[in-house]
Order: sequence, then structure tokens, then C-alpha cells
Amino acid sequence: MKKLLLILICCASTAMLAQQDDIILKGKELFGDMRARHIGPALMSGRIIDVENHPTDNRIIYIGSAGGGVWKSSNGGASFQPIFDDHVQSIGKVKVDPHDPDKTLWVGTGEIWTRNSVSVGDGLYKSTDGGVNWNKVGFENSERIASIEIDPTDRNNMYVGVLGALWSDSEERGVYASTDGGNSWEKVLYVDQNTGCTDLIIDPENPNILYASMWEFRRTAWSFSSGGDKSGLYKSVDGGKNWEKIHNGFPEGKLGRIALAVAPSDPSILYAVLETEEKDKRGMYKSTDAGASWELTNGDFGLVVRPFYFSRIVVDPKNPDVVVKAGLFGSISRDGGNTFKNLGYMHADIHDISFDLNNSDRMYVATDGGMYRSWDGGTTMEIVENLPLSQFYHISVDNETPYNVYGGLQDNGSWYGPSSSPEGINARDWNSVGVGDGFRVLPHPTKKILYSEMQGADRVWRYDMERLQSREVQPLPKKGDEKYRFNWNPPMATSEHQPDRFYMGSQFLHKSEDMGESWEIISPDLTTDDPAKQNQSESGGLSTDNSGAENHCTIFTIAESPVDENIIWVGTDDGNVQVTQDGGKSWTNTVANIEGLPANTWCYHIEASVHDKRIAYAVFDGHTSGDTKPYVYKTTDFGQTWTALATDDIYGFSRCIQEDYENKDLLFLGTEFGLYISINGGKNWSQFTNNMPPVAVHYLTLQKETNDLVMGTHGRGVIILDDISPLRQLNQEVLAKNVHFFDVAPGILREASPFGGTTSEREFVGESKSSNAQVVYYLKKKHLFGKVSMEVMDENGDLLTELPAGKAKGINVVKWNGMTKQPKMAKGKTLAFGGFTPLRAEAGTYKVVFKKGKETYETTVTLENDPKSLITESERIANYETSRKLFTMSEALAYMVYEMDGIIEKAEAVAKDGGGKAADPLIGKLNALKETLVITTGDNYVDSAEPQLREKLGQLYAKVAQSFTAPSSSEMENLALLEERFNKAKVDFAEIKDKYWPKLEKFMNKKEIETLSLQSFDEFIGS
Amino acid sequence: MRRAFLIMAAICISSVLSIQAQDLTVDEIINTYLENTGGIDNWKSLQGIRMEAKVNQGGMEIPIEIVSLKSGKQYSKINFQGNDIYQGVFDGEVLWSTNFQTMSAEKADAEGTANMKLDANDFPDSFIDYKEKGYTAELLGEENIEGTDAYKVKLVKEPKTIDGKEVEDVTYYYFDKEYMVLVAQDTEVKSGPMAGKIQRITQGEYEEIDGFYFPKAMTQGIKDGPSQPIQFTTIEINPEVDETTFAFPVATASSEE
Repeated sequence: MKKLLLILICCASTAMLAQQDDIILKGKELFGDMRARHIGPALMSGRIIDVENHPTDNRIIYIGSAGGGVWKSSNGGASFQPIFDDHVQSIGKVKVDPHDPDKTLWVGTGEIWTRNSVSVGDGLYKSTDGGVNWNKVGFENSERIASIEIDPTDRNNMYVGVLGALWSDSEERGVYASTDGGNSWEKVLYVDQNTGCTDLIIDPENPNILYASMWEFRRTAWSFSSGGDKSGLYKSVDGGKNWEKIHNGFPEGKLGRIALAVAPSDPSILYAVLETEEKDKRGMYKSTDAGASWELTNGDFGLVVRPFYFSRIVVDPKNPDVVVKAGLFGSISRDGGNTFKNLGYMHADIHDISFDLNNSDRMYVATDGGMYRSWDGGTTMEIVENLPLSQFYHISVDNETPYNVYGGLQDNGSWYGPSSSPEGINARDWNSVGVGDGFRVLPHPTKKILYSEMQGADRVWRYDMERLQSREVQPLPKKGDEKYRFNWNPPMATSEHQPDRFYMGSQFLHKSEDMGESWEIISPDLTTDDPAKQNQSESGGLSTDNSGAENHCTIFTIAESPVDENIIWVGTDDGNVQVTQDGGKSWTNTVANIEGLPANTWCYHIEASVHDKRIAYAVFDGHTSGDTKPYVYKTTDFGQTWTALATDDIYGFSRCIQEDYENKDLLFLGTEFGLYISINGGKNWSQFTNNMPPVAVHYLTLQKETNDLVMGTHGRGVIILDDISPLRQLNQEVLAKNVHFFDVAPGILREASPFGGTTSEREFVGESKSSNAQVVYYLKKKHLFGKVSMEVMDENGDLLTELPAGKAKGINVVKWNGMTKQPKMAKGKTLAFGGFTPLRAEAGTYKVVFKKGKETYETTVTLENDPKSLITESERIANYETSRKLFTMSEALAYMVYEMDGIIEKAEAVAKDGGGKAADPLIGKLNALKETLVITTGDNYVDSAEPQLREKLGQLYAKVAQSFTAPSSSEMENLALLEERFNKAKVDFAEIKDKYWPKLEKFMNKKEIETLSLQSFDEFIGS
Repeated sequence: MRRAFLIMAAICISSVLSIQAQDLTVDEIINTYLENTGGIDNWKSLQGIRMEAKVNQGGMEIPIEIVSLKSGKQYSKINFQGNDIYQGVFDGEVLWSTNFQTMSAEKADAEGTANMKLDANDFPDSFIDYKEKGYTAELLGEENIEGTDAYKVKLVKEPKTIDGKEVEDVTYYYFDKEYMVLVAQDTEVKSGPMAGKIQRITQGEYEEIDGFYFPKAMTQGIKDGPSQPIQFTTIEINPEVDETTFAFPVATASSEE
């Protein structure tokens, strides 16, 4: 007892100490069961990097995606599930341990197809339970892991090929070996800080033989370089201790990225695709002597195109002459690499291919537009439809109900679709509104018009969403103008003050007041205009790659103040933060006022505050110079001074910020590794992880009507955190309370049709927003012991329904769909399915009583009618009255049948006790009557009997109760018919009882048989 | 009452011990859990449990009775409109359920039955004598469940056969660090449309019943997805059960009596 007392004192002291400081809750402790929802889309999917087959079970397939994590199929590629959602989502390599293929998996993070928009990884991960749990096991600074190889004879011998940092020097590159199953690593092949390992392959028959291709490469924000003296192809014959170049047959001069494959069925056959200085020497090289000599077999475009993006060769595991090369369309040879043809029609940009273990006609292909299956050796391709890996560059929303989400995708055009849809958001709900790479898509503030674009503003469309007509409206140079420099991801903006106003940014700020029909330039060159960063025609290294992806010294973000239309902020990719307070007549570059920000750091996003025209936020992204720290700043004086908001809470670099419209201390930060939220103006940040993977958030916005936070992620499509308004209400006072109820929007009794769902698990369906009423409350402590209940009551204090109360520490969200209870139906042989319909509560405010142990708390919950409804109040009343009437009739019938069953049972017992003369007529009459009241034969399917009164009442009840409008005249006539029948049954029942029961009762009394005992109506209904 | 007080005291003390422990072993966690919730010997002497529960599915309340016995026999019974519908009934040899269309009993497939037999020795808790049963348990670390820190324990039982393929039978259990009671468990769904997703069951509202602590509220759903609440209204220890209930009702179910 003394010990217990001490414990209690100890606990009390701790509590007192805690009261003196602010309560800082993080992660799940703060957000409780607030949960994000994913709406895709998946119809165009997204970039997939790597395909890995299970070595013995062809039902199991793994894929690694560019920005959407690792996915596993357990059904031969019919559908996939994510298995890496707690970790960095950019993947380089997935490897199944051939010694323990059901359990041990390895994932090297960091995409290896090094385009401008590529994300970063943070190391090597291992799972020992088939991908359910993962642990990081090192290589934190590797950024990109290209290869993982395991000795087929000894799982302790492992090798990792690290491509390494794309944007900076790094010594964490090359080939690493482990002799203890990955616990410790030794670097066994290293060239220099610019040269990483792209392909690392172990000979399937001789584990001492290893091949490694090394690539000298570097990307900056304004250029890319592939190739140099350091690139080369190496071989080791002693398990990685020593390496020799194997270039016999390769051309002289610099080399670029080298793709490599060893034929699994004949390891003496090697294929390599070389990027060389001389154009006519590029192509596929073949060795038939394990790399001792090489011969050029083919230099087709499909083999040599964009080596940095397509550098994978895959050989049929059964036939060394069948070889496939990734590329723009993918190329397949069936004659040992001498001739090729394209793979079948699918999304362009093929990154990896795999063959089924047992049947080489069955192939899997990873593309910029998802995963494809082939059943005929790569000729016909079909897409996997449940991979929402779409990579948004930007996102916007409108004010429709439900609101639409707009955005552009990496290599997958521009789209808009609803944030909610009946039976979920299907592929068919999305509308294509642009081709090429899509970036920003902005709805006109008041008209059914949107603006979309493709890379470098080569084309900018004004699209009429009602007429489905488009017109190109991009700003074009006029006489005397400099060449316009648009970013790959060109900025556009609309105005809250002038609906037809439309901004675009090149190096200048362009303004149109007529939706893009005419343009004026309202700024000087707002960038640094550094000529050293404008040589894109020379970009690419050995293979020129002037796609526009490296365009630099451009405007990247534009924000007109929602408070004052003359205040416009502009951020540039070369690090300027410009502001005008006079509509563009004069500009001030404020970036020099930001302390601690490295020069020329990319200004990714500026958010102009809705609270004060002097306030703005600026987010900078330095990763294109190898700087992955977050840079987030706020000014309250037009940029004269800036305060840093980034703290050590934030992991990785940041891209975008959203200030709450009501509480300026509530901030949402999109980072490369997910969503962070601050409830105190940036003093602390907490990562939101409830159904929110650490995926790159490229843009986020708040939908004003719903308070939904909408995120455009670069790898997992659109993710929405519904109604953030509870977070607005969090403060120290609230956090100190045991229980606090938040004010939330009322629930809506939606009148949408129930039709819509046609999908199976093979297709992704986005989760729609719930329109249910919600009770949202904060619990200071998790409730683990004792009863918790939540009851909804009407104005009379009568219980309508019980809700499953949340008990988690932090924010709990309990939903109520407005349903109360279903009628208790009469017992029959089969089920009256109409009786499964609960009675809906009317619109109104209801009392909610929350009991937690001995404590009782009260709040209210409100239901509103669908604002889109055309139903009048009198029609609603008619609906509710008729529903209630049928509900009551059904329960009255149930009680009547219960009484009849009781009497029959008693009479049958009496009959067995010698009272047949008194009992049998009663039994016969009652059974005859009962057969007209409920089904007494058949089953619930095609052996069903003719429906009786119970079934007909139930059917009519469900019909009326599931609708919202007044019952039709036909329904009312049917009700009258049923009512008449029921009334007659009541009379018949009373007559039978009057006539036959006294005789039976007399017999029972005489024999001293216990009398009939029945529950009251209320007892029966409550039982 | 005295017993309840003792158990609460044990819970408090063990929580302090757990805070002090630097390297808690998986067996210490399991043993403390079993002691805190009733005592290992008491759990072992338990012969059966009958639970009545209600599931509220969007306003449609479904009453369920669940019975499980030490012998491995078990059933779940749903009552719809006066009709008893049995699901997951196991008599030690045969696993069967009522078909909703015909309202007749139908046997489960051979795989399902064989897998059920493997679990027959898990009453009332898989962790009791887990080593003797050939299971392995491993402490994986800590994780935050519904805002509170919990120990994560991996339990591996005998492999099962799913869709013709032998698979490992793994469940991840989460024990509240403070009170060392079970708050959640995760299992990978191995078959059907949800295959590959993680099924999560949570436990809460623990109450003392005849010396045992039982969760009176549970949820079942997909991790990070929607879940279905189950509220237990009564829990009966060592109930009297009609043994014939478990037997497959041969040739009677489809009759029209």
C-alpha cells in the first residue's frame, strides 16, 4: 500500500511539473485519429523505377516507384498494395533475398533515373517479414542506391551499388561489400566524388565474379552532364576485392552511362549499352566471353536514347538471345541483340522489364505511366489499374460542391476531378485538360474555365469546361522583347480581385486582364539573369539533352496579395524574392534581408497572407545544389525583415507552405518527406502521418468552404486532410483540458443516388469525403479502463442511437450518418431485407452525451439537409411521417407475430399434455393467419416464397425511408392497402383469441399448467 | 472488489517496473500482460467464454453471441429477425457457417478447416505457453498506438495454407507501455480483395470480470482505413454451453419445419 501511495505521489508531482510548461504534443499524440484520404488518380498512374520478381513464387511481384514507395502484388500482378508507407518514397532498387525469399527484402532508396524532378533517398532498408516492417540499415547519405546483389551460395555475402548524390560531390558512392549479411559494409570500388555505380551484377553461377558499371554524372538546376573519363565497366573475379576495366572492343574516348546485363541462362553472355563520345559508336555491345571482348551489335535510336533516363537491359531468364532494352518505347530483340523492334503500345518511357519465372510470354514493364502486363511476350500491354502513383507538380481547387481538384503531372498531362463522388472517385471521374508534362492548372475564379500548360509554357491553354473547347493563350514575344525564359514548370496565377486577370512568369512577370487574350509585361527581368546558367543547349554531357528541363533564371512562384491587388510577390529559381506594392511599377528584391539563406537558393513558393498585406511566407529549396535543409521564412513588413520558421523538427527540404485563413498561427508545410503542421506559428512542427506517407508534397492549398487541406504529392496523387478546423481551435487552454469538444461543420444528409460503384480490387477508387455529422474532441489521456459511451438524444432526451466513442489521446473523430435504428421485424422463415433500413433522423441539432468512466460530458451535433435538394419542407415531413408510420407498423406486426408464436408454442405444449381438443383449433387458426403475415417457407434467394404482410411492409418502408421526398400516390395507395390488410389481421387475431383462447385457458387452469407469459411491447422491442 | 484492487495495484506496480526496466525482454512483457489481466494460472484454468456483442453498421445494429471453449470449439451467432445465423462454427473437426441465401449450414473448405485446427490450442490467448506450442515471440520495439506508446511484439505461429500456398502465420501485438495490456494487433491479409493490406484490431474499455480483465470495446478494420466497432455487452466466464450447437447440422437446416 505504501508503494502504491508513493507511485501516486510521484505521478502527481510529474503532473504539477508539466503544468508549468507549454504542452507540446507531436504526431499521433496530437492528431489522434484525424486521417488523410487518397483520391488518386490512378488511371494514368506514375513513374515506376524497378520491378523485382520473387525467385520461386510467381504470384509475388514487387515494384519500386519514383515517388510513391514500394508496392507488392500477391496475385501475379493483377493488383498491388503499398508496403513502404512509413519511409522515404523515392526508390532505386528492390531486392528479394534468394535464400529467404518469403521474408527477407531489401530496398535501396533514391530514384536512379536522374531527371530534373527526381527525388532523393535516405539509405538502405531491410525487412525480415515480407515487407510488413522495415529497418534502415545504413547508407544514410547515399541519396540513390542502384543495385543490391546477394551471393546465391552464401547470403552473408552482399553487394550494394551506390549511384550517390546527383546534385553534389559525395564520397558515399561506388560498390560496397558485406560479409555479414549487411550488418557492416566495406567500400570495394570507388572512382571519385562524381562517379557512382549504376549497374552491379553478380554472376549467377560463380559468385566471385562481379560486374560494375560506373558513371560520371552531375546535375545542377541549370544543366546536366553525363559522362567523362571516369565512366567505365569493371569486372572482379575475387568477390569484389580487385577490379579491372573490361573495355576490349569499346570505342576510345569518354563514356557515359553504361547499361549492363548478364544472361541468366548463360553467364558468359553479357550485353551493354554504351553512351559514347562518337555518336556512331553508341549502341548495344555484346560479349560472349564474360566481358573479355565486346562487339557492337546495334545502335538503334531505341537503344541509345536518353541514357540517364533509360539504362536497363533485361535478358529472358530462359533464352540468352531474347534481350529487352528500356527506352522511349522499349526495344526487344529475339536474335541476341542484332535487331530490335518496339514493345507493344503503352505509355512511353520504359524504365524496367521483368519476365515471369515460368513463362517468358508473361512480362511486366515499368513506365512513366505505370505498370503494364503482357501475356504475349511484350506485344500487347495492359495497365495495372490500382497504382495511384501520379506525380503532381502543383494543385489547385475551386469552390464547387463537391470542389474539384486541378493539377498537372509528370509526363501525364493535366487533369481535374472531383474531391468526392458517389461510391468513390473512379478513373472515369477525371478529365484530361492538357497534354505533355502537366504542371499548374488553375480554375478561373468565377467562370467554368481553367488554365493549363505544358513544359516551358510551350503551350498554355484556356479551357472551357462546359463547352470542352480550348484556346492557346501563352504570352509570346513581340517586337523588341527579349526571348522569354520560362521554367520547365512555369508559374501562373489568378487574382482574387479581378477574376479575368491571369499572370504568368518568364524572367518577366506577364499580366493579362482578359484571360490571356492580350498580355503586358509588368516587371523588369526579376531574376539574376546569370548568363552562366543559361546554356541549356549544351546540357546533357555526351548526349545532348536540351529538353527545356534545365531552363533557369526564371520566375517560379507568383502571389498576388488577397488583401491588396497592387501587392505582388515573385520568387525565382535563382533565389530572388521580389515584391511590388504598386501593381508592378516598382519592384524590390528582398532576398538579401533573409539571414541564413544561402545565395541563389531556389524560391519554391511564396504565400501572401490573407490576414495582413504586409505578411508573406517564402519557402526555399536548395536540393539542386546538394543542400537538403529546410528554409521557411515569414515577413511582416513587406520583406524588410524575415523570421526563420524551420526547426529541427523538420526532416528534409521543404517546398511549399499554407497559412490558415482564420488562425495565422496554424501553418501547413509541404516537404520532400511529407506534411508538417505547426499550431503555434512555426515554433514547433509536427509531422502528420495518419494515412499520409512521407511523400514529396509539391504544393498544398486549403479549400475555403470545407477547410480541407488538399495536397498535390509527387508520387501518391492527391491526398486530402479533411476539415482542419479542429486544429485552429487548439491552444494551451484546450490542451490542458481532460476533454474538449471542437466546433465542426454540420453533417449533411446527402440525397445522392446510391449508384456508381462498378470496380473491383484491381482498380483504384479514391475515397470520398464523408458528409456524416462528426463529434470531434480532444482527450488529454487515452482511456483504457472502464466504459466509454456516446449517446445521441433528441430534444426529449430519448436515445436515438449510440456511437462508437473514440478513446485515443489527442483528437478523436466520431462520425454519425444520421441513422437511428432499424425496426424490429417479425420473425419469419426468411429475412425481410427491407427491415435492415434504419430510420433517418431529421435535420436538426441533437444532444450528445459522452460518458467516460464516472465523468459525463455533453455537446451537440447538427444535421442539415442537402443544400442541393429540391425537396420542400412539406415533402420532407410527409416522408418522415410515412417512414415512421411504416416503422411503427412493422414493429407492431413483429409484436403481433411474437404474441402468436407464444400462443402457438403454449398451445402445442398443451396439446402434447392432452389438451389437443382445446389447442388444435387455436393452433390451426393462428398458423393460417400467420402464413398471411410472414413468410413461413423457402429461402432468401430463388427458392423464396410469396411475400406476405411483413415483407410488403418492409419493402415499402425501405423504399420510403431510403428516399427523401414525399411518398408517391402509388406508395400511399399501397400503404393504404397494407394498412387495411394489417387492420383486418388485427381483427382476425383478436377474434381467434376471443373464440379459442378461453377454452385453452380453462383447460390449462384445470390442469394447473403454467399460464402464458409474454413480454410487454416495450420489453419485446428492447430485447 | 478486493481482487480488483489487487489487480489494479499490480498493474500500477508493473507500470513502474516497466519504466525502470532498461532492457525489457519479450517474455517479461508477455508475462506481465498475462499477470495484469488475470494471472497465467487463472487464464490456464479458464474453460470457456461467452460474449454478447453488438456491431453497429451505419445504424443497423447486429447482435452477436461469441462462444469459445478450451477444447477449441467455437461459434459466432448472429440473430436477424429471430433467425439464428451461425458463422465460424468449429467442433474440433468441422468448420461451418450458415449460408445467408439458403439459411442452411455449409462446411468451410479444407484449407480453412485445417487452419482453424491449428488455432484450436490458442484458447484463451495465443501467448499462453507459446513456446511449448512451438511459437516464437520477438520484441520489435515501440510504436505509438492511438496516441500512447506501446511495445510491439511479433508472434509467429505454425504456418498456414492459403490459396494452396504455405504462409507464415504472423501477428504483431501492441502492449500499452504503462499498463501492459493489449491495445492493438496487426495481421497481413493473405487472401481476397484486401490481400496485402494490414488488418488492425484495437482493444479498449478494459473491465474486470471475475478476476480477468477483458476489453469491452474493439474495432476491426484496415490499418489507416475505416474500421468496424464491436461493443461487448456481457462476458461470461465458464458458461454452460449446449455442445450440440457446435456440430454440423446434417440434413436439418434446409428442411421446412
